[in-house]
Amino acid sequence: MATSAFARKRRQLTIPYVIGALVLYTALFIAPSAYSVYASLTDWNGIDSPRWVGLRNYVTLWSDPVFQRSILNTATITLGVGVTLFVLSFVVILVIRELRFARFVRGALFLPHLVSTIVLAIFWGALFRYDGLVNGLLDVLGVGPVTWMGPDSAFALVLLGLVWIHLGYYVTILLAGVDAIPAHFYEAAFLDGAGPWQRFRHVTLPLAWDVVGVAAILWTISSVKIFEFILAFSGGQGALPHVNQWNTALFVYGKTLGGTAAAFTFGYAAAGAVVTLAFVAVLVIVVRRLMRRESIQF
Amino acid sequence: MRYARPAPRTLRRSAISRLDRSPLHRLVTVGVWAVVLFSAAALAFIVLSAFKSSAAIVAAPWAPPDGLHLENWRTAWVDGNLGRGFGNSALLVATVALATVAIAAPASYALARRSGWAVNATVVYFVLGLGIPMQIIVLPLYALMLRLGLISTLSGLFVMYVVVNLPFTVFLLTGFFGSLPSELEDAAALDGLSPNRTFWSIMLPLARGGLTTAMLLTGVNVWNETFLALMFIQTGDRYTLPLSILNYYQQQQYSGSDYGALFAAAAISVLPMVGLYAWCGRRLTIGITSGALK
Repeated sequence: MATSAFARKRRQLTIPYVIGALVLYTALFIAPSAYSVYASLTDWNGIDSPRWVGLRNYVTLWSDPVFQRSILNTATITLGVGVTLFVLSFVVILVIRELRFARFVRGALFLPHLVSTIVLAIFWGALFRYDGLVNGLLDVLGVGPVTWMGPDSAFALVLLGLVWIHLGYYVTILLAGVDAIPAHFYEAAFLDGAGPWQRFRHVTLPLAWDVVGVAAILWTISSVKIFEFILAFSGGQGALPHVNQWNTALFVYGKTLGGTAAAFTFGYAAAGAVVTLAFVAVLVIVVRRLMRRESIQF
Repeated sequence: MRYARPAPRTLRRSAISRLDRSPLHRLVTVGVWAVVLFSAAALAFIVLSAFKSSAAIVAAPWAPPDGLHLENWRTAWVDGNLGRGFGNSALLVATVALATVAIAAPASYALARRSGWAVNATVVYFVLGLGIPMQIIVLPLYALMLRLGLISTLSGLFVMYVVVNLPFTVFLLTGFFGSLPSELEDAAALDGLSPNRTFWSIMLPLARGGLTTAMLLTGVNVWNETFLALMFIQTGDRYTLPLSILNYYQQQQYSGSDYGALFAAAAISVLPMVGLYAWCGRRLTIGITSGALK
């Protein structure tokens, strides 16, 4: 009896306990998101009141080469870097348990996730500057210096850097999933004559499928937030990177406050942000569809 | 799926894989070591360069330091305004981590201990926030902060950071409270404790591990966050550490580089994180993976 009275009293506590987080989150997270959707249909400089223009911003976006490039680059990061990351993560997982100095290996892989991306971008710049470390190494080998950071080639270096930064994080997550697979599945597969690839294909992958799905969604969501690595690696004094290297996060910054002469086209930037949200939403739905089917309980 | 007991299993599994070491397997091992050593070399390069003169960094980037050049650190800390950035970031890390967990913990407890469609819907509502990119909320918030006079203030940034860290913290702690045994609450009730007291004096201390993890993860986020800081802070004396470093870096690209001081600045930001990982890396990785395994 005491517990049910207790349960009733506890039920009465739910609303007071939840209300603070709920109000704050609704007012400063959900409401601004909704407002951005409205703002994308207006002409707005972020200061005066917005003026309704219907779908005009979206029509302009559609034929804006800067935005086309931004969304293409965003998709390249999400899909290209994403697939590379997941393949490499599994390759690393294949051998990581047998490596010596396990703590050091995991720490070194994970470290880029913990440190400031700005610092990583500075290091990346020190590597690939014209008078940087890579050209210094090439010079020793007798090969002429290469211009790595041209407006077109720099984005490839950004992609490479992103793989390096995020690899340890996804190895850590996927490894936790793989570690949870009971060993007797591997023993059975081994006794049945399955080689390493077959064990991966028929044991590891299906049994870790849930975690792969969650990790894929995590990557999709966080990949569109990537911003400061590109800004610091390719930007100059108060200047934004060349538009060839923009993703949609840089597009939003560049169309509002970024650069030496800020544009303050908040309505237009909001439309770009809404397209990004739609991109994420569609991808998350697709990933969930793809992943749901083959999950196995054990 | 939930019970990870890796130790005995991995031993046996590696015994199996030792039997089929192919050349490909060796190649992969070499490749993984290459990545590991690259990351370690990056860290070593940053820290060692912080003790070298700029001339030595350019002339012999991989040579050991040519002296100790502690003036690099002074230059970065004072002239580069890193000291101010460090202080601002440290203040934000401490206050945001505390406030976020203080707001999220009661909510997470209440959500974890009850079921029903309204509770489930609320959890989903919070998780939704994980999927919303920052760039979509930042524009209206800029306009709002401008109107409230909170642009270029640390209190404005503090509020922003608490809000953007709420969804993940609620998600993490709801899972954590859900995993605590409910027998203790029943025992507390039999002893005549009110539900409110039960939460504050029984459940909260029990959840210390989860709360610490949540604070650490939030703290790391805040220490390194750049996008919101860039949007909301426009004056130098309110710069956070990442903004100070970015600004110092860009100034130098323009005015000729003092690489020694630049890497000292980088080391000031990186070394606390290295220390944190050395001190409680396991707790950090458990926090990160527990979200994905739920």
